Amino acid sequence: MIYLDHAATTPLNASVRAAMLPWLDDVDGYGNPASDHVLGRRARAAVESARAQVAALIGAEAGEIVWTSGATEANNLALKGALEFRGLKGAHVVSSRIEHKAVLDTCRYLETQGTRVTYLTPDRGGRISVEQVMAALQPDTALVSLMWVNNETGVINPVVELAPLLRARGVLFHVDAVQAAGKLAIDLSQLPIDLLSLSAHKLYGPKGVGALFVRKRPRARLAPQIHGGGHEQGMRSGTLATHQIVGMGAACALAQSQVDADANQQHGLRERLWVRLQTLSRIHRNGAAVDCAPHILNVSFEGVDGEALRASLPGLAVSSGSACSSATREPSYVLRALGRDDELAGASLRLSPGRSTTADQVDRAADEIIAMVHRLRAVSPTWVGEADGEGAAVLIPFAAADNVYAYPAPVWAAFGALRHAGVLPAGDDVVCSRAGSPAAHAQLELSARCAPDGTIQAARFRAYGCPTTIAVGEWLASQIEVGFEAGKIPDTARDLRSALEIGEDKAHCALMGEDVLRALFDQIQRIRK
Amino acid sequence: MAKPRRRLQPLKSAPKTGSNFVPVYFDHNATTPLDPRVLEAMMPVLKGPHGNASSLHRFGRAARDAVERARQQLADLIGCQPQQITWTSGGTEANNLAIKGVADVQPGGRVLYGATEHPAVMEAAESLCARGRAVEVIAVDRHGVLDWSAFAAQLASAPVRLIALMRANNETGVLQDVARAAQMAHEVGALILVDAVQAAGKIALDFSALDADLMSLSSHKLYGPKGIGALVKRAEVDLSPLHHGGAQERGLRGGTENVAAIVGFGAAAALAASEWAARAEHTLQLRDRLEQAVQTIPGATIFGAGVERLPNTLQFGLAGYEGEALLMQLDRRGFGVSSGSACASGKGEPSHVLLAMGYPRDVAYGAIRVSLGHANTADEIDRFVAVLRELVVAGHP
Repeated sequence: MIYLDHAATTPLNASVRAAMLPWLDDVDGYGNPASDHVLGRRARAAVESARAQVAALIGAEAGEIVWTSGATEANNLALKGALEFRGLKGAHVVSSRIEHKAVLDTCRYLETQGTRVTYLTPDRGGRISVEQVMAALQPDTALVSLMWVNNETGVINPVVELAPLLRARGVLFHVDAVQAAGKLAIDLSQLPIDLLSLSAHKLYGPKGVGALFVRKRPRARLAPQIHGGGHEQGMRSGTLATHQIVGMGAACALAQSQVDADANQQHGLRERLWVRLQTLSRIHRNGAAVDCAPHILNVSFEGVDGEALRASLPGLAVSSGSACSSATREPSYVLRALGRDDELAGASLRLSPGRSTTADQVDRAADEIIAMVHRLRAVSPTWVGEADGEGAAVLIPFAAADNVYAYPAPVWAAFGALRHAGVLPAGDDVVCSRAGSPAAHAQLELSARCAPDGTIQAARFRAYGCPTTIAVGEWLASQIEVGFEAGKIPDTARDLRSALEIGEDKAHCALMGEDVLRALFDQIQRIRK
Repeated sequence: MAKPRRRLQPLKSAPKTGSNFVPVYFDHNATTPLDPRVLEAMMPVLKGPHGNASSLHRFGRAARDAVERARQQLADLIGCQPQQITWTSGGTEANNLAIKGVADVQPGGRVLYGATEHPAVMEAAESLCARGRAVEVIAVDRHGVLDWSAFAAQLASAPVRLIALMRANNETGVLQDVARAAQMAHEVGALILVDAVQAAGKIALDFSALDADLMSLSSHKLYGPKGIGALVKRAEVDLSPLHHGGAQERGLRGGTENVAAIVGFGAAAALAASEWAARAEHTLQLRDRLEQAVQTIPGATIFGAGVERLPNTLQFGLAGYEGEALLMQLDRRGFGVSSGSACASGKGEPSHVLLAMGYPRDVAYGAIRVSLGHANTADEIDRFVAVLRELVVAGHP
């Protein structure tokens, strides 16, 4: 398994884990940091020393760090807290269409409360410009929220240039720095950002802890979003999780000590991956290649379906779109915002190397991706590029254990062993049919060689679409090759669903199978006449 | 008029301090030690594989499976369905999510909360006032038990949307009959949130038997890790999220799942399910031993005496003594106790719980809370009592 998903989450660093463990014991590390006895004071001291470590990473003062349960909470607190404190329900906010869901969903919530939000669209390189932001400001703009580094493309937004301009205009500036911290140098003592969100688990710390930088001078004031007990200067209540906070502190200290080395290493691997992938034709790097964070490469592949590509790469832990929204299986809204169509946005991989990634892993990952892109293009009826490596990998069956996305076993078996992929050479005795599902951007093609009496002697299929679509093609070709009665056509969709155990969500694949079979038999009828 | 307070005299024996010194821990209602078996369950997660539970690849799926196993373990402890559980960062967030979440999407009707509630409930409820919501306190009697007739009158006087009540009080340990309150709430069409943070793992707890609509829970009060809690919710109860962003927890709580802590909470819940009765019996014996001894100290008041309480909790006051000063001395002598809620400590305010029960400020100032755990021993109780007597005798003029 090659892990290239460090932008989703990173492994917990061993030294960070070691720093956390004394606070996960039943001896003397478990005190509540709010307690006024020796165990409480010990925990409190550890919390405060971690606060200083986090502050040091970003050039802040310890008193400017507010602990949260993660960056999502930090972003929520920043946006809702700032507007609520100022009593500016109806105020104006500027953000962008490529923000993380935590900011976008919070903005949408604020809109339901009367806030007006301008969502800026990035240029084709994925960047929001200084001019765009300044032009979007209105007299009552209370807040600008912009991510430093985009989590899908790695593109860096010009927050450094914007900060002094927004300060001069008196507009509060919130920056989601989750993907920037530990990757780029951040010095808030020189940069007038008011609020800045951080997450521990993106920089080799534990999950479940994050922080919000809240500037003291001039003071950015927030209304708390979690009440009770008055922890964290009243801005965020709840018992502090000592071990997680200590972990975040240790992770930040480590990141600070090796930010340049990390950046160089990951940049090298990222570019190595990109160079290698470019042996494929018609691929597109998403986001500008200059001014981007070192650890993210996002590539769209023409001529393959995104879901099929992901399923074909069980040995790679990569994201297709942001991990947080990938469960919804919608094409990435970030890539669509920078102008990719649904198909290209869907057929994308985000590859993010990390500290433990090796050049060898990157090479193997690239080889695997290249082979699987070739395989899918080779069976696609719509691919009209050069036949790079056509058919090479088509016949290598996938192992049952590699069915990590839990397709029905018969679907996986057929998708994994494409014995009938291809197209029969044209001839008087060869018929061919096609069917498509525009909604799913899927295509199925069948070709068959018939005896004069109409008996099918050989059949092949080509398909573009999800694994189920491809499995339907394989199953149909294999069935009609061994004899098929035209009278059974009206039952095909039902038979397909039962033979391949296709669920309701993929019923359209079975219907497409019936369509293409019906079209094929129409052709055969015509030949016999 | 507050009575003059007696000064504590310096003790003859040397204070126990130093970086390696481990005190006798009597503050389990503030937080509990992490059970080593819970840590063992968490270690595989802390050592990787390191999936984001929302990622679709193999690592992500392993994380997702671990999260769902833990959900089942917690559901088994508290008698609910796993899908009724939403993970939060702790009990405070769970209470905030419930109260603000209901108020946000269900307009109309007052929000009521008990006078002895935890600050997480009180302050979350009070924050609704700024949003134009009518918020009222439900009075308690001298024992800390809900004033049922006043409560009934409150319910009858005008529409109520939500009632927030704790099953067990964190300071006195006094139990509320939340099942009775739930029935009364439902009769007027109100929802009830049961804050079960202190009850879970200490007494029998059954979400469906209580007929609660919402219930908040915390892991670190039952030998699980800090930084994780849960809100239990009947499916029909409509809530708006507190943390927007991402589709985690069915859209009710955005944010990457804290997998290690969730697994730890699940493991702690599974242990509590099999061990809570034995723990309760053990701590009750120790608590009664302590209570009997404290009663013999002149001027001692046991808060909530004579009503149903948590088996592990004893809160008492010593007339004329300031709690903070006593705590400091007890701390120096190696006993970790508290005056009340850890959250409110250090603020110099007397316990709002005792004030609500009608005690004067000077009595409330003198409160000491001892909350026991399953590792405490009779010997520790006896040593504590001896030190307490020494302090009190020394403190007398």
